[in-house]
Amino acid sequence: MEEQELVVRMEKISKVYPNGIAANRDVDFSVKKGEIHALIGENGAGKSTLMKILFGLEQPTDGNIYLNGEKVTLASPLVAISKGIGMVHQHFMLVPSLTVAENIVLGMAPKKSGIFIDNKEAVRLTREYSEKYNLHVDPDARVADIAVGMKQKVEILKALVRGARVLILDEPTAVLTTQETGELFQELKNLKEKGFTIIFISHKLKEIKELTDRITIMRSGLSVGVYETDSISEQEISRLMVGRDVVLKVSKTESVPAETVLTVNDLHYINEWDKKTLNGVSFAVRSGEIVGIAGVEGNGQRELVDILFGLKLPASGDARVSGQSLIGLPQARIRHLGVSYVPEDRMTFGVAQTASIQENVISDRYSRKEFNNGPLFNMKSLHKESDKLIVDYAVLCKSRSQEVGMLSGGNIQKVVVAREFSSDPILIIADQPTRGIDVGATELIRKRLVELARAGCAVLLVSADLNEVMELSDSLIVMYNGRIAGYFDDGKWDDVMMGEYMLGLKSQSDEEIRRACHA
Amino acid sequence: MRDRRMILFGLVRGAAAIAVALAVGAIFIFLSSKEPFTALRYLLIGPFLSFHGGEIAFNTQNFYQVLAAMIPTIFTGLAVCVMFSANQFNLAAEGCVLVGAFTGSLVGIYVNMVTGLHAVVCVLIAAAVCGLIMLIPSLLKVKLGASEMVTSLMLNFVLLYVVLHFLNYHFADRSKGATMTFPFLESSKIPSLVPGNSKLTWGFVIALIVAVVVWFFMYRTRWGYAIRMIGINESFSLYSGMNVGGTIVLSSVFGGVLAGMGGSIEVLGRFNTFQWRELPGYGWTGITIAILAKNNPAAVPLAAFFLAYLNKGCQLMATHSDVPSEMIDIIQATIFLFFAAEQFMSGFRQKLVVKTTREELKKMESVNVLEEESGHASTTV
Amino acid sequence: MLQQLYESIFRADFLFAIIRITAPILFAALAAVIAEKAGVVNIGLEGMMMISALFGFLIAYWTQSWAIGVLGAMLIGILLGLMMGFFSFKLKTNIILSGIAVNMLGAGGTIFLLHMFTGLRGNTGALVSPNILIPTIDIPLINKIPILGEMLSGHAILTYLAFILVVVIRVFLYKTPLGLKMRAVGENPSAASSVGVSVLKMKYIAIAMSGALAGFGGAFMSMYYSQGWNQGMVAGRGFIALAAQAMGRGEPVGAMFSSLLFGLAQAMKTKVSGLRGIASYNYLIEMIPYVVTIIGLVVYAISIKRRARRHQLKPVKE
Repeated sequence: MEEQELVVRMEKISKVYPNGIAANRDVDFSVKKGEIHALIGENGAGKSTLMKILFGLEQPTDGNIYLNGEKVTLASPLVAISKGIGMVHQHFMLVPSLTVAENIVLGMAPKKSGIFIDNKEAVRLTREYSEKYNLHVDPDARVADIAVGMKQKVEILKALVRGARVLILDEPTAVLTTQETGELFQELKNLKEKGFTIIFISHKLKEIKELTDRITIMRSGLSVGVYETDSISEQEISRLMVGRDVVLKVSKTESVPAETVLTVNDLHYINEWDKKTLNGVSFAVRSGEIVGIAGVEGNGQRELVDILFGLKLPASGDARVSGQSLIGLPQARIRHLGVSYVPEDRMTFGVAQTASIQENVISDRYSRKEFNNGPLFNMKSLHKESDKLIVDYAVLCKSRSQEVGMLSGGNIQKVVVAREFSSDPILIIADQPTRGIDVGATELIRKRLVELARAGCAVLLVSADLNEVMELSDSLIVMYNGRIAGYFDDGKWDDVMMGEYMLGLKSQSDEEIRRACHA
Repeated sequence: MRDRRMILFGLVRGAAAIAVALAVGAIFIFLSSKEPFTALRYLLIGPFLSFHGGEIAFNTQNFYQVLAAMIPTIFTGLAVCVMFSANQFNLAAEGCVLVGAFTGSLVGIYVNMVTGLHAVVCVLIAAAVCGLIMLIPSLLKVKLGASEMVTSLMLNFVLLYVVLHFLNYHFADRSKGATMTFPFLESSKIPSLVPGNSKLTWGFVIALIVAVVVWFFMYRTRWGYAIRMIGINESFSLYSGMNVGGTIVLSSVFGGVLAGMGGSIEVLGRFNTFQWRELPGYGWTGITIAILAKNNPAAVPLAAFFLAYLNKGCQLMATHSDVPSEMIDIIQATIFLFFAAEQFMSGFRQKLVVKTTREELKKMESVNVLEEESGHASTTV
Repeated sequence: MLQQLYESIFRADFLFAIIRITAPILFAALAAVIAEKAGVVNIGLEGMMMISALFGFLIAYWTQSWAIGVLGAMLIGILLGLMMGFFSFKLKTNIILSGIAVNMLGAGGTIFLLHMFTGLRGNTGALVSPNILIPTIDIPLINKIPILGEMLSGHAILTYLAFILVVVIRVFLYKTPLGLKMRAVGENPSAASSVGVSVLKMKYIAIAMSGALAGFGGAFMSMYYSQGWNQGMVAGRGFIALAAQAMGRGEPVGAMFSSLLFGLAQAMKTKVSGLRGIASYNYLIEMIPYVVTIIGLVVYAISIKRRARRHQLKPVKE
């Protein structure tokens, strides 16, 4: 491989975040001029961090970056842009009230008579690029009024107008419909022909096979290999991607599922960009079992959980706990039915950071009789409750009055879990319960989940950590593209098989999937 | 240890803010006055000590006046505390003081009742009316998402003009030169607490009791707890199953009740007729007090005292020297700005945090080693 | 009675008064508009106007030049804006609170400063002389037209400036690169910074411009409207301006119309006080703009909410 052929060469890149998480470890990554290069890996594999470094949003702790053979320091996105790197973020960086042309020239608007925006020139420029690269947009339309696929074109044009020769696209198809995806691919191939280099981040194997020339696969902050797309099968990619490293073993007994606690019936959800993100999901969770939901993030799990806990309303369908529909109920009523929820975003939903540990563990039960004497709190029983929870869940702290925000991530999650697991729930929805926390806390939380299930609780475990779902679940649902792609209740699953379902290579028949409803 | 250090840091920071403000005040005094030392003396120690040819004595009347001045501001300070605790920038306490004072006055003039009960009824009716008024901005916020800051600001003017209208055209005593109501019935007046003309009434005691009650409400009841949690993190509260909208309305209504009490107790204690023709400004002072008290009701009387003391000092300074009393606004604004500045002295704070964290890490190292070993033990490859 | 009202309202001098009364509110409303566009709530307008009114007048007195006075007022406004910016963007004081602090300075601090600089208490009546007041100008040709001429001609230079600034600011916000960047920062800061626009810089510029406009408003008050500075002079116009901004949906032209509504209400109030029969409604008339603002906010909030709800409960599309 000749040196000048490589537009981007990242050498031994390491990134350690201030909280101690090593997102990249000695990653080598290089892209040839004029290719479409796929960067693939599970959530948390480190691909976003690597691309943020390339776009100047993050600084590497170690390692060198070469652009066209020349060593560079990318101190900010501005520097990266000036060196010909453009990024299309997953969440669009557009100003809704501005027109397409205005968004495209923002920060570099052409002027006339020295002070005014030359709107004609901006529109002309937009038209010129849009025609040259076959990215058809209406320069005068307001961004707020155009469709998602169009917004993405605007983002790509924004990068091109700024002189980008290397385009990074972060999961560009996640928000697109099938037709829009097809269109995007045509446009990207077109750009490739014109000599542009494209880095394409995705989870979707079919798309990668269809579109890209080479693939870099990442796992746990490492690059596990670079392949010519044609020389590797989808099965192999999926094996490399989800291959397991270290597994925390949790001893657990055989589950004895009893009565059905949660039934989900034909849920549909359409998101704010008119994309159908849940498409007829039905399953049931019985008391005494842990049902795991595996899947690459963004395949409907988020929406499912939000609907179950009253944070979103479905377009149609129903979800019932003990026969009572959850749809449209306020959280207080949902909790009253015996549902507990460990939220994915613990800092936003899980805790009030500047409040004390005590104030955080009682947030779902503070109005119960046992904690109140008439109008006043019964401080004694509140203290007793919080002290008990602190001990039970081994929260490492000085006292119950310590601010939660002062604790470590693992201990914050223990506070959340202490509250959610101790309210005598009949159903626990655990959403990424151990993401980003230390080994000790992870182990404790997993152990408690199993204990609760065996004591008769129904557990719905949603996790992007494949090892976690595979280890803990009694039966397993794989979600892909807003639907259930597979249901497994025999305990015989492995990462290769999971990978194939998660990435949409395989899916079960409707009959097989219907077994998830136990009806 | 970290917590204790942070409390200490908070105190140092507050003292620094006050010191900066007083220094700013002193600079202005030296710039503007021919007798800066006299001015400073009256400003700083005048409220309590009087000077008669070298004789220094404790001045009881001044002291009483300082306490009397705290009565309305304790109430508005508490009102703002309750509303700001729920993260509601509701500024209508200002208008509620006026309406509370006016309503209380009307009941005090036109309703006949026995002494003792009469004043209580005046205050309660004023409180109820103001509580109802606060439903407007809070319901608009909760039901429609309209900014409570703008609606409450507008509401202040609406309330002002409504009061002026009724004062001028329905309840004015036409026999008087200035616009005022008929005199309050004696039975409705809040009695004096001490002899003399200081206007220190039983209202002061009530204010202190209410401060304690509000503290208990905020820190020892389920409603106060919900208000505080919503103020810290609304999403968390919603997810925990709290009634977020209802609690926000509750906090605003309670704020209105407190402001209404403050207004009525102030007029019925201090005056013989109602003659306010503009917004009294106690609502804004209440905001300063709430900021100084960091939304803690227990600290409100202290903050109110501090401001009343400063105010009296400024008045005395104006009487006895060539510096105008409005100096207080400059000092107050400076304190306010620095107190509310999260990043003021943040460098110092950061150093403290780093230092404390290091120490804690050292202490916890042994614990960590143990933890990690147990973690590895259960890890299989 | 209504006849009387009718006659006194549809007269050129009444329309003239509306324009005169509207001008200072309009300056402040434009100040609110420009700050809000960059995502900054400037609740300190009231104080900014008071302080710049005082210094504008004093500077004019010292230099015996109204023009330098107006410039001085503008500069003081800018400085106050930057001070608010420093506390809020750098030291992280909540922007509403730093605005309230500026209002405190405006309320009492001005009286103190006046005394410090001049020894006067409460007002500057003693210092007023015609040459330090903002001159009025007759517009040739237009002043010959009946009614229209009486209404539009003979205003102070700053009155014309206020209305000219509506257009200027609209053009600035929508037709210049800086305005574009400012709106982008107010609407989606991360989008702006992703293309290298400095969010902080834009906010500083916006609040400084807001201060400059409030400074004009202040100068107008002390050097024309009240013919001298006095302590109750601004009388809530800074807050009214916030309402005008909100009611005008944050746009310069909208803010102008809502400012005119406030001007109309105040002019009506003055007129009505002189009339038998309805004189006793003067306060309620003065109240109208505030009620209208609240209603306007409610209508706006409902329309937003409707849009969101329509979205949430969309029928299933296959």
